[in-house]
Amino acid sequence: MRINTWYISSFLISIIVVIPILTVFSSFFEDTSNYFEILKETFFIEYIFNSLTLLIGVMFLTFILGVGSAYIVSFYEFPGSNFFKWALILSFAVPPYIYAYSLFAFFENYGTAFTILKFLFGDGNYNQHIPKFSGMFGLILSISFSLFAYVYILARSSFLYQSQNLIELGKNLGFSKFKCFYSIILPAARPAIVAGLSLVAMETLAEFGAVDFFSVNTLTTGIYNAWIAFDDLAFANRISFFLLLFIFILFLTENLSRKKARYHLESKGGFKKKEKTKIYGLKAYYAFSFCFILFFLSFLFPLSQMLYWTIKFPENLYDLNITDLLLNTLYLVFLSSLVLIFFALISNYGNRVSNKKILNVLSTLSISGYAIPGVILAIAFITFIAWFDENIIKTLGFLSIKKIFIGSVLGLVIVYFIRFYSLAFNGIKSGYEKMNISVDESAYLLGYSKTKTFLNIHIPYLRNSLLFVIILVSLEIVRELPITLILRPFNFETFATTAYISASEDLLEAAAVPSLCLIIIASFFILLTSKYILRERSE
Amino acid sequence: MNNFFEIKNATFKVSGSEKVKNVSFSIKNEGDIVCLLGPSGIGKTTILRSIAGLEKISQGEIILKEKTLSSEKTHIEPEDRKIALSFQENSLFPHYTIEKNIKLSSRNSNRDQININELIKILNLENILNKFPHQISAGEAQRASLARSLNSNPDLLLLDEPLSNVDQSFKEEIQVKLKQILKKLKITTIIVTHDSYEAFYLGDKCGVILDKELKQFDDPYNVYHFPNSEKVVKFLNRGVLIPAKVTSPKSLENEDLGVITGNFVNPVEIGTNVKLLLQPEDLQHDDKSNLKFDVIDIKFRGTSFIYTLKTSSENLLPVFVHSHHVHQHEINDKFGIRKPIHIEHIVCF
Repeated sequence: MRINTWYISSFLISIIVVIPILTVFSSFFEDTSNYFEILKETFFIEYIFNSLTLLIGVMFLTFILGVGSAYIVSFYEFPGSNFFKWALILSFAVPPYIYAYSLFAFFENYGTAFTILKFLFGDGNYNQHIPKFSGMFGLILSISFSLFAYVYILARSSFLYQSQNLIELGKNLGFSKFKCFYSIILPAARPAIVAGLSLVAMETLAEFGAVDFFSVNTLTTGIYNAWIAFDDLAFANRISFFLLLFIFILFLTENLSRKKARYHLESKGGFKKKEKTKIYGLKAYYAFSFCFILFFLSFLFPLSQMLYWTIKFPENLYDLNITDLLLNTLYLVFLSSLVLIFFALISNYGNRVSNKKILNVLSTLSISGYAIPGVILAIAFITFIAWFDENIIKTLGFLSIKKIFIGSVLGLVIVYFIRFYSLAFNGIKSGYEKMNISVDESAYLLGYSKTKTFLNIHIPYLRNSLLFVIILVSLEIVRELPITLILRPFNFETFATTAYISASEDLLEAAAVPSLCLIIIASFFILLTSKYILRERSE
Repeated sequence: MNNFFEIKNATFKVSGSEKVKNVSFSIKNEGDIVCLLGPSGIGKTTILRSIAGLEKISQGEIILKEKTLSSEKTHIEPEDRKIALSFQENSLFPHYTIEKNIKLSSRNSNRDQININELIKILNLENILNKFPHQISAGEAQRASLARSLNSNPDLLLLDEPLSNVDQSFKEEIQVKLKQILKKLKITTIIVTHDSYEAFYLGDKCGVILDKELKQFDDPYNVYHFPNSEKVVKFLNRGVLIPAKVTSPKSLENEDLGVITGNFVNPVEIGTNVKLLLQPEDLQHDDKSNLKFDVIDIKFRGTSFIYTLKTSSENLLPVFVHSHHVHQHEINDKFGIRKPIHIEHIVCF
């Protein structure tokens, strides 16, 4: 009976998360408006082409930046290597749309670059010599510098956990350093790199703020336009179906190409900590330069740009009610984290104790919410509530529930929950995976009930994982834009929405203060989590 | 009087596949120790897990103190059974110190409770109490796990290869102490092991599991001296089977050894060709004997040597010789066997 309670709770939670995801897929077969016909003739190919170009560009660049930096800091010791180890993940604090504002502002005509040149060399016609990073190229750069840390973190962790024996075996066989990297290190880290790239791919295809800012027509903006201009949700869902198909094909291909290869061997021996090679002179200079330039471009550059504007236009600081924005942001973070942790914990424990196949399948489906762009989820939610209100609530003679869910914090938290459920679920799951099932069995055999085992054994054990998940979810919510933009209550702004609204009104200088605040808060969350993100086995 | 613990005709399965079938045995008195012997992967652990309630049984019945714990229709949850299981692998709570792990388990009992400090001392855990499970060795983890199980005052204690990771030098000492504790506290225990010496020392009764069945369940002495099948003989690996012909109610004859006298454990018809179990202590060395065979292998066992002799008909005979015997033999030496040969209990198949 007790198992059933956990099972049912877990089942219900997964169902709630899966419903909007299934709605997206089922809408594929619904009728669409004329917009589809018009679009098919005009922009649809462009949407697909642009999305593909963006995806390939970003994945290529994040691979080079992420794997390159991870390799350097994992295998070599040079001045600043310990600093760069965590400093490189600070790029997470800068969402692609804020990076886009910085990039554009720096290189635009009479922008910051112009001001610097003028300050250094006096008046001159510099605009024609300053490169313009707008359109697709600017977009690829913005997203890549903001997201390469996904690949960096996972590749680094894989490099650290690689068997020292394998590398020593390579040396023993007379492999050169390059061959060692190419034939042993890189293939062994393949699953981790692919996992990082898959996150990058999903975030790229779901990106809204930066894409909108650079006016590049992708599938995501197509979805938004289908909803805003034509009120055609079915078509919006149809486009998102294409989006998901992209990701699915990409990773299915990779998965099939792996066949039955295994990338790590179970070893009963102790973990042999990898010895880092100390490098000096020119080699150390190159390593330092690569990491510093990456750190500068991904974090210091947008931070400085926003700081520069904040100082240059202090009136924007006074115009903004920072306390309100901060409280709103923290309010959302607190509520959403609480809801996410609570339900993800129950669901994980339910999965663990009931061990039912159907629940596993459902959980896998439910965590795919992360692959669905926030725009889609927000729109699907509005449509669902509208339909439910019209067809169920009103038919039964009750008052409309629209106001309770649409344009309310409750609605916002629900959609955050669906969008970030996979983060919370997987974060807790990875904590659980480290705990052998015999730990539970030992507890039962000591007379602990399922609930007592959950409260007295699991929760204390998962403490660190929970903290990590809370901060990770908080970071995502602070950076999140489209869901907040669409579902927020009237006059309820966060740093992200304020920055976006200012930027969309061509008031980039005014976007600087909220952007700066956002970067600072996000950096704070990152620094809190860096201990866990960069954890090494010996620590 | 009813048995304290009983398994009636139970079949044990893991993920739908049958591991051990039709198992029946009982523990008559509270405080008795039963050892289950068998090769790796045979299903010994499955039996323990099923008794503990971690697996369900598809057939039969498991009864403790006259209460059915498991049957086709009944399944009492593990936490409600008052049965402790000490796993072979480290199953300590990883986020608690060893001390907290041990003390977490305290459960009320009518029985005399063990003094926790005494237990810690006996199992030599004093120096690791403040450490975490990942900071100790496998042997230490096993002893800590044992302490935790003992401290939980169970009605029935199940130990899965409890000393498999303990250093050989320390193993015997722990075996002695473990037996003393179990007997002192009258904790009924089922121990799973593949080490026959451990089973013979600790167990009041021993069961041998082979080919998905409980082949023999008896006193350790009987399991060793009166194995009930050729498979049990082969598993215990403490003797050889040689061909012989029964010549009278108290003798048989072998081509190489000649007449062998003794008492048949089970009566066999005269004239029957049988396989005779010959254990190392059955034959005695005698340098002056005319019955000589070639030495082909010598195993030094500390207190004894076991010589393997080869007969003219290619049979291999093990012979036990005390290690303080006046002289040693080398490979290819001629080795004499005392005549007449008398075996106290004749086991043949």
